[in-house]
Amino acid sequence: MPDLLRPVRVLRYSAGNAWADMWVIFSPLTWILGWVSRVLVQVVFFALIGLLLDSDDAVRYLFVGNAVMITAMEATMSVTTTTWERRQGTMPLLVAAPTRLWPVFVGRSVQWLPTGVITASVALFALGPAFGIEWTPAQAVVVLACLAVVAVATYCFALVLSAIVLTAMDLHNVISNVAQAITMLIAGVMVPVSFWPGWVEAIAQALPLTHGLAAIRAVTDARAVGPVAGEVAAGLVLTVGVGALWLLAAAVLLEYLAAAGRRTGSIEFAE
Amino acid sequence: MAEDAVEVRRLRRVFKGRRKSPDVTALDGVDLVIPAGEVHGLLGPNGAGKTTLCKILSTVLLPTSGHASVGGHDVVRETAAVRGIIGIVFGGERGLYTRLTARQNLEFWAAMYGLRGRTLRQRVDAMLGQIGLTERADDRVEGFSRGMKQRLHLARGLIGDPQVVLLDEPTTGMDPVAAREFRTLVGELRDDGRTVLLTTHDMAEAEAVCDRVTLIDNGRLLATERPAALSSWISTYSRVDARDVPAERVPQLIGELRDIPGVTAVRAIQPSGIRVETDAVDAAPQVIRHLLDSGINSVATSTPDLEEVYLHIIGERGLRVSR
Repeated sequence: MPDLLRPVRVLRYSAGNAWADMWVIFSPLTWILGWVSRVLVQVVFFALIGLLLDSDDAVRYLFVGNAVMITAMEATMSVTTTTWERRQGTMPLLVAAPTRLWPVFVGRSVQWLPTGVITASVALFALGPAFGIEWTPAQAVVVLACLAVVAVATYCFALVLSAIVLTAMDLHNVISNVAQAITMLIAGVMVPVSFWPGWVEAIAQALPLTHGLAAIRAVTDARAVGPVAGEVAAGLVLTVGVGALWLLAAAVLLEYLAAAGRRTGSIEFAE
Repeated sequence: MAEDAVEVRRLRRVFKGRRKSPDVTALDGVDLVIPAGEVHGLLGPNGAGKTTLCKILSTVLLPTSGHASVGGHDVVRETAAVRGIIGIVFGGERGLYTRLTARQNLEFWAAMYGLRGRTLRQRVDAMLGQIGLTERADDRVEGFSRGMKQRLHLARGLIGDPQVVLLDEPTTGMDPVAAREFRTLVGELRDDGRTVLLTTHDMAEAEAVCDRVTLIDNGRLLATERPAALSSWISTYSRVDARDVPAERVPQLIGELRDIPGVTAVRAIQPSGIRVETDAVDAAPQVIRHLLDSGINSVATSTPDLEEVYLHIIGERGLRVSR
């Protein structure tokens, strides 16, 4: 009988690496002073563009978009930390083990999920009032849930990029930064998705952030959650659906790359 | 398990050359059979094809042609079955999660090999005890010595209770004491009834732990013998090169050197030199003494490569190749 829970157990133990990596990257002090403060300044910077435009709506739009973008940005950072797996020299051992590769990589960089949600939450709830955004408790809970969904779905998108980067290790920063830049441009962070030509809009629909951000904006722009529940639910369903497709693509790509590596001999014992 | 733990027939692996570089034949028609329960050494220099063979047997690499099976399972068509019965250990610093503890490392790999719950925890504890790392189980690997890391490598390779263990130069970079301790652990694998394929370029290591040793060079298996036999072959043959020999003296010296017992071949080499090949342990010192007495001071000795030793052996004894 197949062991259907094995991927979950492997994912859980692989996440142990993510947790250990987290404390190599940050200490509580450096996270607060070095990272959180940096991204908060980034959010404020872009939000203030609305002041230059003399538009309160623009300020709110840019503030919410860039605050939520933090979650997606941190999820995309998994592209870089995934390369650490290959640098550890474990690839041949993983390929030779009787378990698929994908649960290992799914769990490998999950530290970016809670950090992304927390950082964006700090931006939204601590800075929001300064930009005219007040939250009811119900709205806050829904927004937190939306952030979590955005984080997971964007992480699944980043897993596909991570799989590509495993074959081009030197490009991990390029690929990560380009993905973040494109997301920021077309997913409704800076300007509405409808601003773009039709073909760009179509590409934007493939990004989880596009739908998750739309759901969060629906909550932000309404006075209560009830009237927009349907809109929020639709956005979340699309976010989850798009994320699931990216996860499937990542799993298929990882196994394909492993098979290709066996054919070409690119999986080195001593790399 | 099948009677033969490892069976390789006419195995070839060719790596495509990049751009204008020629293709590289890493394995060229290898035949090898390892009975179950044997500790088998694969001895050869760097680039001989040892690791390529290990990679194919461990399903990390596909062969270009030929057949290989582990435990009766074909490495190409029955990959999952092979992966369930093998363990891999390679030397060096790579392959461990250094930011995790020894226990966390083993727990991860135990999960990769399908263990769970109490069985997983018990197996991890047992392996830590077997390699002598129980007291350091909850310390991060980044603080371990090379010997401790290698022992952890071994535990990781055994965590799935493999029937066949591939050790690819496992004592690379280890100090002599740690290497000796590791070899003791390898001996315990034999006692457990496991089949071990150990690749090494160190004849002493092969001699210490292996039941049989196969010589490999340039992707071809040269001979398979008991370690003591191979050791005596390799230590018997040597080469003496003399440089800056005046041209008019070369023919006379060649004649004199040929008369020394144990000298098998003497020939002139360019520029202005003489090469002497010997197959007796005390022949090389006599050759060197004669050259020095003759006023030739530029003298160097070397050991012939494995293929030259093999050619000597084949020429003298007509031995069978490989199994």
